[in-house]
Amino acid sequence: MDLLIYLMVFGPMAAAILSYLIGRKSKACRDGFVWAAVAGEFLLSLCLLFLFGNEAGERLVALEGVCGFGLTFTAGGFRCIYAAIASFMWLITGLLSPEYFAHYRNRNRYYLFQLITLGATVAVFLSGDLYTTFVFFEIMSLCSYVWVAQDEKEGSLRAGVTYLAVAVIGGMVLLMGIFLLYQEVGTLIISELAAACQGKNLWAAALCMFVGFAAKAGAFPIHIWLPKAHPVAPAPASALLSGILTKTGIFGILVISCNILVHDELWGAFVLVIGVITMFLGALLALFSVNFKRTLACSSVSQIGFILVGVGMLVLLGEENTLAARGTFLHMVNHSLFKLILFLVAAVIYQNTHKLDLNDIRGFGRKKPLLKCCYLLGALGIGGVPGWSGYISKTLLHEGIVEYLHAMEEGHLHASILSAGSVKAIEWIFLISGGLTVAYMCKLFAAVFLEENRDAQVQAAFDERKPYWRSVSGFALTAAAVLIPVMGMLPGLTMDRLADMAQGFLGVHHAGHAVHYFTWVNLKGSVISIAIGALVYFLVVRGWMMENGTYVNRWPEWLDLEEKLYRPLLVKLLPGILGWVCGVMDKATDVLAKLLPSLGAGIAGVMDIFTDGIVVLLRKTIYRDSPQQGELEEGNALTHVIGVSLNVLEELLNKTIWRHHEHRKDLEHWFVLKYSAFKENATVIGRSLSFGLVLFSIGLCATLVYLLIAALI
Amino acid sequence: MLILSILFPVLLGLGILLKREWKRRNALLTLTGAGLIATAALGMGVVFGGDAELLLFSFGENLDLYFHADTMGKLFAVVVNVVWVLSGFYAFEYMKHEQEEQRFFGFYLMVHGILHGLVFAGGMVTFYLFYELMTLLSVPLILHNRSKDAIKGGLKYLFYSLFGAYMVLFGLFFLNRFADSLTFLPGGTLNMGAVSGNEALMLVVAFSMILGFSVKAGMFPLHAWLPTAHPVAPAPASAVMSGIIVKMGVLGMIRSVYYLVGADFIRGTWVQTVWMSLSLATVFMGSMLAYREKVMKKRLAYSTVSQASYILFGLSLLQSEAMTGALLHVVFHAVIKSCLFLSAGAIIYKTHKTNVEELRGIGKEMPVALWCYTFASAALIGIPPASGFISKWYLATGALASGIEVYSWLGPVVLLTSALLTAGYLLPITVNGFLPGADYPYSELKKKEPNLVMLLPLLILAALAVVLGIFPKPLTDCIAALVNTVV
Repeated sequence: MDLLIYLMVFGPMAAAILSYLIGRKSKACRDGFVWAAVAGEFLLSLCLLFLFGNEAGERLVALEGVCGFGLTFTAGGFRCIYAAIASFMWLITGLLSPEYFAHYRNRNRYYLFQLITLGATVAVFLSGDLYTTFVFFEIMSLCSYVWVAQDEKEGSLRAGVTYLAVAVIGGMVLLMGIFLLYQEVGTLIISELAAACQGKNLWAAALCMFVGFAAKAGAFPIHIWLPKAHPVAPAPASALLSGILTKTGIFGILVISCNILVHDELWGAFVLVIGVITMFLGALLALFSVNFKRTLACSSVSQIGFILVGVGMLVLLGEENTLAARGTFLHMVNHSLFKLILFLVAAVIYQNTHKLDLNDIRGFGRKKPLLKCCYLLGALGIGGVPGWSGYISKTLLHEGIVEYLHAMEEGHLHASILSAGSVKAIEWIFLISGGLTVAYMCKLFAAVFLEENRDAQVQAAFDERKPYWRSVSGFALTAAAVLIPVMGMLPGLTMDRLADMAQGFLGVHHAGHAVHYFTWVNLKGSVISIAIGALVYFLVVRGWMMENGTYVNRWPEWLDLEEKLYRPLLVKLLPGILGWVCGVMDKATDVLAKLLPSLGAGIAGVMDIFTDGIVVLLRKTIYRDSPQQGELEEGNALTHVIGVSLNVLEELLNKTIWRHHEHRKDLEHWFVLKYSAFKENATVIGRSLSFGLVLFSIGLCATLVYLLIAALI
Repeated sequence: MLILSILFPVLLGLGILLKREWKRRNALLTLTGAGLIATAALGMGVVFGGDAELLLFSFGENLDLYFHADTMGKLFAVVVNVVWVLSGFYAFEYMKHEQEEQRFFGFYLMVHGILHGLVFAGGMVTFYLFYELMTLLSVPLILHNRSKDAIKGGLKYLFYSLFGAYMVLFGLFFLNRFADSLTFLPGGTLNMGAVSGNEALMLVVAFSMILGFSVKAGMFPLHAWLPTAHPVAPAPASAVMSGIIVKMGVLGMIRSVYYLVGADFIRGTWVQTVWMSLSLATVFMGSMLAYREKVMKKRLAYSTVSQASYILFGLSLLQSEAMTGALLHVVFHAVIKSCLFLSAGAIIYKTHKTNVEELRGIGKEMPVALWCYTFASAALIGIPPASGFISKWYLATGALASGIEVYSWLGPVVLLTSALLTAGYLLPITVNGFLPGADYPYSELKKKEPNLVMLLPLLILAALAVVLGIFPKPLTDCIAALVNTVV
């Protein structure tokens, strides 16, 4: 088993690289090689299914130490069936691909990533612990980006960005959930989770993981990538995206619902509500769409909603959930199959017309009985018409709701979150959504296969187009399509057996009571749905959605979650605001680095002139220079008087005695000079040591004289 | 061997610088190449040669020039040698059209030796000495082309680094007073007797050392030199700047927090809280700015700011798993970011396109280079199984396990948001490069793949970025054992 699993996981990845190298030499060789690789994968998956699609397969296969914590894989019914379905879908699309891609550029790249994604997808389904799930989930998400953007047209690149953004954001949130879970319970091995999670509050972890998985599954409100990516992706890739990649998301949600929050009523109600919204909204969007593939994409959203309703019910019903669990699983399988066929029909249409708008491809399917047949098989299946496999799974899902309703009315369930009325409403939404499914499938069928194109020339060209597909493609498509009625007619032999194998994974270990599918009680639901569908088709589609015989899109343009909410929020608003804050943070240091030196220089400058400043300040205040005082600054009043009188005397003498040689001398000034010289001398003398000594000597002499006198007396 | 691994490249580099003129370019390259390989061989010799210890001489009491090749140092030594040698060989082609290659290679060799001294330093004094030498000698690598911007960038780097170094020195003075010794010892060397009563002061000291080393590690608010210096430096210089020099700031923090102050001393204090907050703010800020940046190399520089703070956040949690994640991220980021810078350099070298928006269809012109870029990007974003995923896993689980209020969940949320932004700024280049749109003129397509001298280092680094993620067991075991001795 170990080798088988490793081959299934890593084989396609190795083959991918080989195919790329081969493709550089020869395109035909590469196509053959890719198909051989996929066929080999399918054989391996069948081996695994028959050998280990039982309880013996539910042991862990571990690759110790790889990727840090080791990768573990396990088999078992559910996983093996899904691995087989995955490789089956790759196989069928692989048969059509060479024809579809004949005119594409960069095909090598497409096949490279297609094979890697195959390995990763199979690995997700076979993963034994959530760590492994996450590793391959991310590889799968990112590699499948290339599918969406393959033709590199503007719309494709834009849709690719949406797809990538949802994948990356979803992946990160999922990772956060896994972190939280690991922190709480300490293990990520799926089979051990149920026991480890009991009695722990894991809502935060579960919600994060749900967002991550739901983003891939396409649940509301993160379904946005489906209607964008599918119309632009190559049709074989759409079949895989919608048929199998969304199921990896469901796989994750099942792991949460059946292993982590087991029988948690609130959780069940939450998933149920999300499922109901997704189911109805998807169907509504599909009804409005006028693009063949967009309708199918929205239909996928809606069918994922049906599956989520099943998941919600299987959680809500607790131990009695056998029917809901089986219905959920079978609807997954059915939906994979339906979408495979329907998208491949789209592929055939597109490769002939290169158009997808209903008005352009109108009438293409006329006079092409085999193609018409294939489409009808798929459409009747997805519409839930009795006799086709969709009827079986939808009946089981419906039974699940009815059972819950009964249990409520009979009081088996205590403390229910949902009231009986709301469950009744959910049942009706379920039936109406089924009706809408019938309606939009009718719309496509009528447009493509019944009506004539409004342009007679185009219609003639359509009718003349032969062969419109290679026989290989026709064979592959028919073979896949025939499965639907076979499974639908013989549910006991086919679908019940599949469900028996798979229900262990969904936590159901006892066989439920046998369901008689073709009794009136069960047929009633289907009949109601079909009636609603017919009503909606004739009243709404033919009455309102057509104008002068052409299909028009009545969906209001402003109702676009992605363009009106997500993109503005994530591309403009948040980066704008947060980016501005970060920009300020970024520049803050630089501004500081510029400001601080100037501030420092300022302070240093202030300190530098500080002492000078004090001196200046003091001079300006306390030590202010005394103001100038006229002429009377030298000498004093006495010298002035004497000087002036001497001047007068001199003048007198000049006039009389010194008449011949006059003395012209300012005596006042002279006198003042003399006076100050005298004063200065007096000061100098007064302060000098000799003066002191003189005084001392005088004093001494006086003392001596006094002593002499005293002695004489 | 240890002393030789430091002295040999320094002397060789000096010789290359002093020779007046190199007439034959090949002689210069041969000598440099041989020097790089010989130095790496010497370094590896020390790494695998047991517990080498060497006391060269003492300046005085406690001031020893002392080398000790412990496991932490050896881990960094391996990273240094791998990135340094590969970028060096890449430079042989890249620097062809630059002038004065002799100066570049001379300093390149010298810094190689200095880095050996740094990672094998056994005490803070030695560490500080070589840290300063590294700063000074790496400046010529940045301002190599001597344009005005380059000189501005180089000087900014120098001033920021010096500022940081002085904060470290400030801390060092106090540590010298309050620690038993400045020799690195797992668990710290703080003398609790001396510290008691001065706890508040010691916390300031610890914080100042963290902040000082955060300059090199590019933590907000001292990260601003990175986005200025990186775009102007030659690609190989940017690669080793981001890959190695930044990591030396990280090593400095590890040494001062885990080997001197001791993790227990700052656990639960304001220092830890501020450290965590700053690093988380930087993680987000760096990614956000990178997301808005249009110049390729500047974008990568902001990315380094963000990613280096992943490491710092891991360190700041003071928890063993988070620290394992941090050390793993040291290794991975060194490999990844040098690969990114080298592939950006290859694009610039061949096409002279520096702006992200001009790179439409670059994957058609240079598929191998862009593949390398893509693998490294995937690793940096943390897409499993590439390497970045492993380190982020440890970081996030470590943060959750640390049980610190708010930060235990805020950390992983910020890390994942930043990973998202990382995807937002790295993947568009790959997408536009490989998916140029249906109207791309295929007929005018010319292959511009660089030659093998450039491609080989790129390929090796890209392969390492992925393979280390797929088979990380030996590395994680070795680091986990190392961490257990420290925390």
